Amino acid sequence: MTDLELEGVAKRYDGTAALEGIDLTVRDGEFFTLVGPSGCGKTTTLRTVAGFESPTEGSVRFDGRAMDGVPPEERDVGVVFQSYALFPHMSVAENVGYGLRFRDPPDGQTVDERVRELLELVDLEGMGERDPDQLSGGQRQRVALARALAPAPDLLLLDEPMSALDAQLRESLRRQVKRIQSALAITTVYVTHDQAEALAISDRVAVMNGGRVEQVGRPQAIYREPATRFVAEFVGDNNVFEGTVRAREEDQARIDVGGETLAVSAVPPGADRVTVCVRPGALSRNVGTNRLPVTVETSEFLGETVRVHGRWNGVEIVLQLPGVPEADELTVGFDPDDAHVVATD
Amino acid sequence: MPASDRRGLRNAVVTLRSRLERHALSLAALATAAVLAIMLYLPVGVVFVEAVLEAGRPTLAHFRSVLTDPFYVGALADVFAEPLAVGSHLEGVAGWLGAVSVSATVVRPIPGLELPVPWLALETPGVRLGLFGFTAYQAALSTLASVALGLPAAYVLATYEFRGRRTIRSLTILPFVLPGIMVAVGFYAMFGRGGTLNGLLGLVGLGPYPFIEGNPLAIVIVAHAFYNAPLVARVTVAAWESVDRRAVETARSLGASPRRAFRDVVVPQLFPAVLTGALLTFIFTFMTFPIVLALGGLQLATVEVWIYDRVRQLAYGEAATLAVLETLLSLGLTYAYLRYESAQSGLARSAGTPARRPLVPDLRTALSPRRLAIVAYGLVVLVVFVGPMASLIVGSVTDGSGLTLRHYAFLLERQLEGASYQTLPWIAIRNSLLFGVATLAVAVPMGVVISVVTARAGRAGAIVDALAMLPLAVSGVVFGIGLLRGLVFGIPLPGGWRFQVTGAVAIVAAHAVAAYPFVTRNVSPLLANLDPAMVESARALGASRYRALRDVELPLVASGIVAGAAFAFAISIGEFSSTVILAGGGDTYTMPVAVERYLGRRSGPAIAMGTVLLFVTAASFVVVDRVGGRFER
Repeated sequence: MTDLELEGVAKRYDGTAALEGIDLTVRDGEFFTLVGPSGCGKTTTLRTVAGFESPTEGSVRFDGRAMDGVPPEERDVGVVFQSYALFPHMSVAENVGYGLRFRDPPDGQTVDERVRELLELVDLEGMGERDPDQLSGGQRQRVALARALAPAPDLLLLDEPMSALDAQLRESLRRQVKRIQSALAITTVYVTHDQAEALAISDRVAVMNGGRVEQVGRPQAIYREPATRFVAEFVGDNNVFEGTVRAREEDQARIDVGGETLAVSAVPPGADRVTVCVRPGALSRNVGTNRLPVTVETSEFLGETVRVHGRWNGVEIVLQLPGVPEADELTVGFDPDDAHVVATD
Repeated sequence: MPASDRRGLRNAVVTLRSRLERHALSLAALATAAVLAIMLYLPVGVVFVEAVLEAGRPTLAHFRSVLTDPFYVGALADVFAEPLAVGSHLEGVAGWLGAVSVSATVVRPIPGLELPVPWLALETPGVRLGLFGFTAYQAALSTLASVALGLPAAYVLATYEFRGRRTIRSLTILPFVLPGIMVAVGFYAMFGRGGTLNGLLGLVGLGPYPFIEGNPLAIVIVAHAFYNAPLVARVTVAAWESVDRRAVETARSLGASPRRAFRDVVVPQLFPAVLTGALLTFIFTFMTFPIVLALGGLQLATVEVWIYDRVRQLAYGEAATLAVLETLLSLGLTYAYLRYESAQSGLARSAGTPARRPLVPDLRTALSPRRLAIVAYGLVVLVVFVGPMASLIVGSVTDGSGLTLRHYAFLLERQLEGASYQTLPWIAIRNSLLFGVATLAVAVPMGVVISVVTARAGRAGAIVDALAMLPLAVSGVVFGIGLLRGLVFGIPLPGGWRFQVTGAVAIVAAHAVAAYPFVTRNVSPLLANLDPAMVESARALGASRYRALRDVELPLVASGIVAGAAFAFAISIGEFSSTVILAGGGDTYTMPVAVERYLGRRSGPAIAMGTVLLFVTAASFVVVDRVGGRFER
């Protein structure tokens, strides 16, 4: 179907930069997610792909074709918004069929057949005659998805489609979206501020911050090997120690963190100032290396585990323990292999 | 023709159509801009040019002679004559202040009636106000009266629940679109020497009193309050209903008494609305025309009436100069209003509207002082608002001695036997309806296009909006002169051609230009509230900008368009100021013009004609209501 490429895409409004040079490639049939805090430029990037915004610099290409100046209605994209944006004066079926006024249904289907097929796809068969305001939030969002898919677009763009829904509904709808996307093998760009959602649903993820892409990769790589401190802290809980490399050995290094010394492996070559990232799950009372006496501040009961916030050597510490700690102080350690080290810029 | 050629032709047609569609909005915007330029900016520009030309050469002599003439600017004439003699001006002010004295006296407010009222009189040595000063003075008094009459209505509508509350709230928009000349005749039918009020007083052996002749200014001010008190009430109720109930409850929980919570939480949120209503009232009454013309005549002349008189005397230069000065003043006021309005917008957002109490829960409460005061206020409302309209109808079928149809018989006779140079009723009715429909056809597309263009254009949209809203600040008389001097008399073009617009077309242009802001004002808020993602969804699905407008935006703002259309039609039916100038001696007069012409002789035929106008206006509103319009946003 379609490859999507962004090359050096920059967008400025009245001198303030919303995007500063985005380079991305989304492969055919891929589920690709843009994730980041609000204002990071993820929605602007999506709107540039859809043609609602034109880039100040750089270009967007579909299958190698430059999209400069092509209006949205000629791009063959399906867009789903957070607000659903259903047409309130049209029935569900009319909403789903709206795009078929401009493009013929695929495979020689009639409009009615296509609308029925799409409503079945999103589990809303028989709802075609209803008005949008008779539907629940989750149903509306599925109508919006069916409407976007009806003309068989080359590219599906989803702008925070789940953010207005409650947590449980969000998860089931997320699975449904993923199932439909794989079945149709449609190239999809998904925008969300929820990193857990991004990791759960995507083939690949781009983490954005301040109008730039910080890291692109598979969810596991983003989680295990964050490229920057921002990614390390944005994606999942993390313990982050800023330090200076004191001694390099064969497969280990000693890092000075505020006067204390930590042993870690796999230090980037040449780096002097580094950031050591250790996931909460890697900090355990039973590990004998890198022992850190932690002052406990608060505990949150999460069911299977307890998340403990505390402090060591002036640094905030997050632990994941099997039970609530009895004492105000406890000592945990981590294996040098479990630390991920990035160069501090 | 071979199939490939046919396909090629079809493709060409499709391409042409999609091109047209893609540019439809730009083309419509261009056409609207052209109409505005020719029908609005050109005439206004002609007036401005006329004011600064003397025998083809630019001069400020017109302005100098107006600004230094005490007849126009009163005591300020000296200041304009010698702006640098600050010392002597200040001396003059000080001397005046020294002569001010306050004294208690007894006045008899109703002429001819021995009803003494104690009054704290402010004795001021006479200041010559001049024409502009008097216009501002009567506008200020009218504003005070409108606020005084409107605020109790806002209080009752916002805090009490009773049968017909919603209807009355909706009706507050109605006076605004009633023809001014009709209202004037209604006041004539009520307060005139042979009017219904004197008729009622005669039943108890009083009168007749010359209300209008004795104190025309008071009647003019009450008539202005008829128009503008509902406006004040309307904006105030809207603000009152948007006060978040939880804010009042928070104040109460923090220890404020009900009275204190009202003062600290509600009043500060009402104040901007009252000020908005007052400012608008001042602007409208500063530009007042038919009311003063019909009820006061030249002895109460405001700037607008005087300009009209100058036009009648063919003193166009003087009229243009006055028109420019008046327009500058009203533009300044309108600018102040718009700035103030935009500074206030966004304040009012509420989830919980205040709860309303029943007006008459039981008999005991019904006799409490507060409820009795409301009843008394209701009587005043009845006299001021229902009285003139009822008197209009009653006056058209009665004379001094009892029921009669001779006023209508006069109209019929005039229609059947009148000479062609006379004012014939049916022609007036026919013209009014034709011009109304034509105005609809022009003003609705214009207003919608302007709404669409300004809806999401940001800063540029605000500028377009301001330029397009100019008609609200240019009075009908000024605009009428501009059209007359510009388009009707014709503008010479190179090559011996003349660009000329006359008769019905000029009148429809004047009506359309006066009416389209109301379409825009009804449509724009609805458009602005639409989720922009809806248009974007439509476009991503393959709709051009024009198709998205046609398929999504317009159906969703249809109620605003219909309401705007109702306004446009009503404005056209009631428009008097520019029509009376443009109709001249031809047969393009409308019902309001006919009413004014009949008023010149005896009041009976005018009252009958005013009643016909009332019924046609009411009928058009009923029709629009049935079609599905609503007069409220």
